[in-house]
Amino acid sequence: MTDPMVEVENLSKSFGDNLVLDSFSMSVAKGEVVGIIGPSGSGKSTLLRCINFLEKPNAGVITISGERITIDNHTSSKVSGEKIAHLQSKVGMVFQQFNLFPHMTAKQNIMAGPRYVLKEKAEVYEEKAIRLLQQVGLPEKADAYPEELSGGQQQRVAIARALAMNPEVMLFDEATSALDPEIVGEVLTVMRSLANDGMTMLVVTHEMGFVRQVADRVIFMDEGKIVEQGEPAVLFDKPEQQRTRDFLSAILSHDRKE
Amino acid sequence: MIFNMVNAKAALGPLFMGLLMTIVLTFACGITSLILGVFVALGKMSKIRILRFVITAYVTIVRSTPLLVQLIFIYFALPFAGISLSPFVAAYIGLSLNVTAYLSEVYRGGIEAVPKGQHDAAAAIGMTKSKAMARVIFPQAFRTLIPSLGNYVVSLFKDTSLASAVTIQELMFKGQIVAGATYDYMTVYIMVFVMYFLVGFPAIQLVTYLEKRMKNGYARKKVAPAKREVAA
Repeated sequence: MTDPMVEVENLSKSFGDNLVLDSFSMSVAKGEVVGIIGPSGSGKSTLLRCINFLEKPNAGVITISGERITIDNHTSSKVSGEKIAHLQSKVGMVFQQFNLFPHMTAKQNIMAGPRYVLKEKAEVYEEKAIRLLQQVGLPEKADAYPEELSGGQQQRVAIARALAMNPEVMLFDEATSALDPEIVGEVLTVMRSLANDGMTMLVVTHEMGFVRQVADRVIFMDEGKIVEQGEPAVLFDKPEQQRTRDFLSAILSHDRKE
Repeated sequence: MIFNMVNAKAALGPLFMGLLMTIVLTFACGITSLILGVFVALGKMSKIRILRFVITAYVTIVRSTPLLVQLIFIYFALPFAGISLSPFVAAYIGLSLNVTAYLSEVYRGGIEAVPKGQHDAAAAIGMTKSKAMARVIFPQAFRTLIPSLGNYVVSLFKDTSLASAVTIQELMFKGQIVAGATYDYMTVYIMVFVMYFLVGFPAIQLVTYLEKRMKNGYARKKVAPAKREVAA
């Protein structure tokens, strides 16, 4: 196997006394789709936010497609803002609350990265924006402002905005949790086709059906650590750990109620 | 008659010149403060402690003392420290320093009110902090602040009358001169009153209009039909 796309070694993060990630390590291969599940507060979102440096880890090593950043308490301030910004530009992120820029149209949102960060030429990023809008099924919404779009449409634009940076890996942080149930599908469809195109993806989600169908591997996290991981079919149907079983049965009974 | 047409006719020219000076002073100080206020706000939010301290001290002093005292201090007291300023420069500096302090607080409030998710989203597409501020955070903050900034500029317009204390020949000062020469205080000050009103009232209307327009969101469908900025 080739070098991993994402490698996390001994990543620790605490908020005050609360240890959210506890020497967490994992490796994600190029093109792999990893679903990350677990109870709230288990550190899933913090893990994604640390990989993208939206949170500053306390310690650990993060390598994104060969580019390595080592953080420890004493030298963390030496990691320059420029280096972090560069690393962030290689990692796409999609948020639960979309976080589109409200003062820009859908197209301007998508162009923001290529234009202001990658400094691409106008005809290049214009064309890219149009292509990406088509990819997420919203070519007619180019000039719409986020406030004019439904939640699902906003999230699809947000995915396009992340893709516009030509990321090597995409992080999805509960990308469908804020959406009405009938709209979830349109976002999952876009995510599924990305996975089929070979994108490396880390997906924090409560959509077990999606994970089962699309993910190559599922990681079950609790208290800042990996409890269990494996192929979805194996982990969902024959979990080894009691905590995994408890979590899955809680989730499934909840789904049935709905 | 309370209002004397003859005196009014004689006063009109000088008062109009005064009004022009008032407007020039308002624009000069307004533009300066609108720009400087941004940098003072950013300085107050910076990581550099000494900078934050200096700015906090400046803003606190300005907000805790009367503008009239500030103006008089700059014009009449500073010469004893070897700093002699012309009336216009003294008024320009005094008013600008004053308004900048207030506007910096307005800007800071607006910038801090932009949701954290916007910072996250900007960082996630590789923007550095300063780029995110310039392209994402500040444009959003500025838009919501336009009405309050407008209100401060209208206040500035009225407060320029205090510059008469440092012998600027603006509308209020001209009024004092003309009134003193004719002793027809009623006629002259009615005219001064009306002249301030004729500028101030439309300005307030404009601010109210902007406030309404801001509430309509970015799409602007309800106000201006289909006139949208094309991506440059």
